[in-house]
Amino acid sequence: MTNNVTNHILSKKKITYSWLWLILLTVLSAYNEDIFALFTLNKSLFIGCVLFIVFLKGQQIIDVFMELSQAPKLWRNLLLGYVTLLPIIIGLIYLLSFEFK
Amino acid sequence: MPELEVLTKEKRLPGDLAMWFFILAELTVFAILFIGFSVAEQLNSDMFTEGKAKLHQISGLINTITLITSSFFVALALNSMHQGKGGQAAKLLVIAKLVALIYIAVKIWEYNSLFDQHIDIETNTFFTLYFMITFFHLMHVLLGMVILIFIAVKAAKNDYNASNISGFEAGASYWHMVDMLWIILFPLVYVI
Repeated sequence: MTNNVTNHILSKKKITYSWLWLILLTVLSAYNEDIFALFTLNKSLFIGCVLFIVFLKGQQIIDVFMELSQAPKLWRNLLLGYVTLLPIIIGLIYLLSFEFK
Repeated sequence: MPELEVLTKEKRLPGDLAMWFFILAELTVFAILFIGFSVAEQLNSDMFTEGKAKLHQISGLINTITLITSSFFVALALNSMHQGKGGQAAKLLVIAKLVALIYIAVKIWEYNSLFDQHIDIETNTFFTLYFMITFFHLMHVLLGMVILIFIAVKAAKNDYNASNISGFEAGASYWHMVDMLWIILFPLVYVI
């Protein structure tokens, strides 16, 4: 049992890199609109980019912080499905709204 | 030896199964709220644009960074716990809670700032949903902090050991769920 648990230890280095990546993505997400305005890119692309960042951050939390990268696939996939499907649904709601405007 | 090899390669769900079902239920409730918010935004786009302009995006950014940082310390605490260092894990959890206190302080400041502008839950649909979702999330943060206190005390007393940390893992997973919900809430309410 001890060996089983020991096998699941993620290194502090990996956790720290994950944290720094999450901070970088957060700042990028917050200032994304300014970046897009600078290059006069459209709003759909901006929303898509923000929602993709949500997926990337969710994946880090699930795999590294929650340690689900080493859990049974069902549980990892359930949570990854959440951070994949929810941004897609939200994105579609915005996209459909743009289509009908 | 081959038996040991099979054992070490076995996939293991951290924490209690019941906690993961609870986490799935919480995620479902928030998913409904997030989808409801998105639909309401499309039906009242001008109102939502004006409402979002009255929010402090910087406070949303600070809160995201504090929750991610708090989660980072909880992940480090779990790492220490895996190595049987209960005392160190407890100290890291205290840091995680102190960082989370910044989130609570900023949230209270944000609410007060809106109340000073005579904005409350009844102002319009945007603020009804804003207060409902963020306050519901805040309640989860508070519950998460209670859970972190509980597991920190147990870790300090060395009630967990390297092979029996299921309770600790369950508490940590709950906290990471609270963090994960905020990373969806933040862009939806403050950024998009």
